Amino acid sequence: MTEVMAPMDGKILHVKAKVGERVQEDQTVAVMEAMKMEIQIVAPVAGTVVEIRVEPGQAVDPDTIVAVIQ
Amino acid sequence: MLSRDEIDKRLRELEEKVIRGDLRAIAKQHGEGKLTARERVEKLLDPGSFVEEFMLAETQVTDFGMAEKRQPTDGVVTGHGTIDGRPVYVYAQDRTVLAGAVGSTHAQKISYIIDTARKVGVPLVGLLDSVGARIQEGLDVTRGNGMIFRSNTVASGVIPQISAIMGPCIGVASYSPALTDFILMVKGTSQMFITGPAVIKEVLGEEVTMEELGGWKVHAEQSGCSDLTAENDEACLLEIRRLLSYLPQNAQEAPPRIQSRDDPNRSLDDLESLVPDDMRKPYNVLEVIRRIVDDGEFVELKPRWARNMVIGFGRLDGQTVGCVANQPMFLAGSIDVDAADKASRFIRFCDAFNIPIITLVDVPGFYPGKRQEQMGIIRHGAKMLYAYAEATVPQITVYLRKGYGGAKQAMCTREMGADQVFVWPGVELAVMGGGGAVNVLYKREIESAPDPEAVRKQRMAEYTERFSGPFEALQKQFAHAVIRPAETRRRLIQALRILAGKREKPAPRKHGIMPV
Repeated sequence: MTEVMAPMDGKILHVKAKVGERVQEDQTVAVMEAMKMEIQIVAPVAGTVVEIRVEPGQAVDPDTIVAVIQ
Repeated sequence: MLSRDEIDKRLRELEEKVIRGDLRAIAKQHGEGKLTARERVEKLLDPGSFVEEFMLAETQVTDFGMAEKRQPTDGVVTGHGTIDGRPVYVYAQDRTVLAGAVGSTHAQKISYIIDTARKVGVPLVGLLDSVGARIQEGLDVTRGNGMIFRSNTVASGVIPQISAIMGPCIGVASYSPALTDFILMVKGTSQMFITGPAVIKEVLGEEVTMEELGGWKVHAEQSGCSDLTAENDEACLLEIRRLLSYLPQNAQEAPPRIQSRDDPNRSLDDLESLVPDDMRKPYNVLEVIRRIVDDGEFVELKPRWARNMVIGFGRLDGQTVGCVANQPMFLAGSIDVDAADKASRFIRFCDAFNIPIITLVDVPGFYPGKRQEQMGIIRHGAKMLYAYAEATVPQITVYLRKGYGGAKQAMCTREMGADQVFVWPGVELAVMGGGGAVNVLYKREIESAPDPEAVRKQRMAEYTERFSGPFEALQKQFAHAVIRPAETRRRLIQALRILAGKREKPAPRKHGIMPV
């Protein structure tokens, strides 16, 4: 189990990955906005997305778990 | 008395035995996927150029059975040779002799090599692979390590010093690489830590492997200690040669200039499309750098740590330059404590070794928040200001897109010491981002308006328009000129030519007190 964390403080714009989807390492799981920039939140490892824990508009910080990959 | 023939014979036998080595220990070393110290030195240096020194030196300590165990070299191969025809001093710890443990003679040999490299003005390369201190030697080892640290420190900024971790580097011995300019690590076979698994188990009750504690990943991604990672020994040695090709022999010399076949006037036609107009869209600044430099060749240092800041060496028309750039792909390109550390140390290296600094700016600000303040963004950010302001090498700053707030100074404005400042046409330079500025400038108007949000939006649009584009920067002599993205390479090379004669002496003082 690997937790995908938000890289910084900001707001979720879209969630790209779906539960059950296979993702590659560095594939975008969600996009957030921070410091007026769109930031890709990427999978740190390849695997299957088992959980998505955020939704668009949600505020996140570096302790926020965005998704869980197995 | 021995006859001359007998002496010759004995010497030859001794030397042959040392070179041949302990076959079982060598097989063990190979079995771990590693080369021996002697093989490493041969591969690092130009063929046949190695001259060994103090081969027959042995430890003088006899306690705890050392009298019987001692061996020639004392576990470290030292000497000089050439890389691309240029002399270097090198030491390689030898795991096949006394496990490469650091004894007093071993340490003296290393310390001597560093001191000599400094005196004669040639780079130092250390290849580290050792089980750690030879405890049989007691305080003699402590003294030996101290000598090495002092030698490294005295040589700092005089000659380039490179440390390659090619096996364990344990305990206080890790501070020698830390005092040098660049650290390379080999994947899977190198570890570096101050307190080992046994001590951690005893003190903290935690089980941890050497790799978890100080493997390449830890230092490349978390601690920021490692500059470059290599897949294996051969790749590591080649990487050292490549790194040295950018560097001068010492601080009195200019870096080597190579004959570049890349057109200095080469137009960078796709640069404009690479950097999106939409300020919210990130892009990979490494791609921008690779297009600008000769033949797309760029040695990125610390590529997996503080990724919001890119540092490394490239060439422009054959001349070495150091690049510092914000990376919008990570943390929006903002400056946090690690990014500031990463950049400032690199800037100081470039300045010490006469390497012009190119700064590419697209920065939204310092990374805000309680965590960064607590971690000391004031203290760390100050290093960048200090490093740039202190530097006397040619410094050129290019604004690719945005520069907000005080982070501009941290990326080398004219006042901070930039000799030439260029802006791309699409820049947005402001004291602060639109939102914050409007809330201050039009506070009363917004608050008293029947529809505050509408007023805020309108004022924000006006503010953004006012500061979009290069106009204010040009009117106020913030930048020397606006340049088209496509002509960035040509204009940088032109600027480097006019700045080549820059000679500035720092004010006389013992040394400044750099914030650390």
